[in-house]
Amino acid sequence: MINRSGSIFSGHTFLLLLTAGCGLLILAVLGFMVFLGRPLFTADFFNLFMSSVWAPDQHLFGILPFVCGTLAIVILSLLIAFPLSLGNAVLINLLLPQLPAKFLYRIVKLMTGIPTVIYGFVGISLLVPFLREWSASGSGMSLLSAALLLALLISPTMILVFVESFTAIPQPHLNAVAALGGNVRHKLIYTLLPGAKNGIMTGLLLAAGRALGDTMIALMVAGNATAMPESLFASVRTLTAHIALVMAADFDSTEFRTIFICGIILYLGTLILTLTLRVFNRNGSKADLERGLS
Amino acid sequence: MIPGRVVEIENLSFYYGAQRVLNNLSCGFAGHSICAVTGPSGSGKSTLLTTINRLWEEVDGARVEGVVKVLLDNMEIDLHESKIRLAQLRRKVGMVFQIPNPLPMSIYKNLTLPLRMAGIKNRDQQRQRVERVLQDAFLWPEVKMRLQSDARLLSGGQQQRLCIARAMILEPEILLLDEPTSSLDEGAVSEIENLLLNLKERCSLIMVSHDLEQVARIADSSVELVAGSLV
Repeated sequence: MINRSGSIFSGHTFLLLLTAGCGLLILAVLGFMVFLGRPLFTADFFNLFMSSVWAPDQHLFGILPFVCGTLAIVILSLLIAFPLSLGNAVLINLLLPQLPAKFLYRIVKLMTGIPTVIYGFVGISLLVPFLREWSASGSGMSLLSAALLLALLISPTMILVFVESFTAIPQPHLNAVAALGGNVRHKLIYTLLPGAKNGIMTGLLLAAGRALGDTMIALMVAGNATAMPESLFASVRTLTAHIALVMAADFDSTEFRTIFICGIILYLGTLILTLTLRVFNRNGSKADLERGLS
Repeated sequence: MIPGRVVEIENLSFYYGAQRVLNNLSCGFAGHSICAVTGPSGSGKSTLLTTINRLWEEVDGARVEGVVKVLLDNMEIDLHESKIRLAQLRRKVGMVFQIPNPLPMSIYKNLTLPLRMAGIKNRDQQRQRVERVLQDAFLWPEVKMRLQSDARLLSGGQQQRLCIARAMILEPEILLLDEPTSSLDEGAVSEIENLLLNLKERCSLIMVSHDLEQVARIADSSVELVAGSLV
């Protein structure tokens, strides 16, 4: 297929076609979801989808509880995972001697490869019973259990990105602080955090994307109730879990079509995260360029 | 400690992992003078400096044997025995590096950083000290209108004078200089040399240099290191 004589299938064109194909495929997915969910884009769209009651037998298809459930779980898991990951990265970069630091880093790396269903298992057999006893109400399958587990799932991604951006801090900067009598806290405040601003934001957004897209954990431990999330111990359903649940039971009904709307919402959510990441990184490097130091 | 000296080193050996960098070395440095440490690259000159402010402890796998004593506030302190706090030591023994290392913040913030880390939070006091060290470093006229601009926008020579000013702002008794002019052009070098000569009154300077002409120009005494031993 690759031909140096200048036919349209020269290497360059070929790669261009492949790239364009991938790009189009992503757009096609969106188009596909809109097309299949099309019967629902009717006049009473908002009544149907933005109401908070999900009762298909009464012809009520409110997916707002799932949107809220997703947001609650994502935000809560980020709130738990962010300080944890930052601390971990500081431990690896500053506090631990080389060998234990390397060991911890390896473990974190290993954790990124563990399938989420495993975390789900562990959650069901350890975390859920524990929270059930602790909260003394409900089944233990709740917003909190899913957020805790999800925090564990997204932390490795964040830690790795944080560690990478901390490692990029020039040693002379750290030496400057150390030679002036600065301690670890000073190094963190005056060099690592300001220098790794972009990396920290990147880590956060990547983790948010992972939390948003994860299905298994919420499906297994969040409880999947269709009500609005009202407390930490409430059973909630996320958009992803909703898609999985409906898909397993049905294939052609109004109920089934709602999962495409869920899909579109997730798609747009991820898109917004990705674009934010882009804009942020571009601004970061532009600011560096303006300072004459990229 | 021999009278007049501010640093006394006895039987000092230094290791990075299994590699020996300093080999059973003994020497001393006199107060209120510029003492030069010369020698070829890799002979352990910079390492010797870092044993005086214990900056070597930042390096993983480094190990030291022997005695390093410094005279601070007229008290003889054995760095490996006494319980002087690291921060305390490094505020009394300042250091300037081979490549100027201003932090990515404003000129003013670079200078107030040591004050803030030492707990000196009074704004007026900070301002006064900043002006004084900048005057001392011959930098005040050049930067007084742009104290809030990024320190990395200064020229190399200006950056190094800023780093010297930053190291001087806590009024150290000893200033360690690790080839402070080797990354600079000729004009900047002579400015720094003048500055160092002026600083002699206020503190004791120990300077690593591989430029023998520079040593002849400004140093009061010198020791030569070859492969981790004194010559």
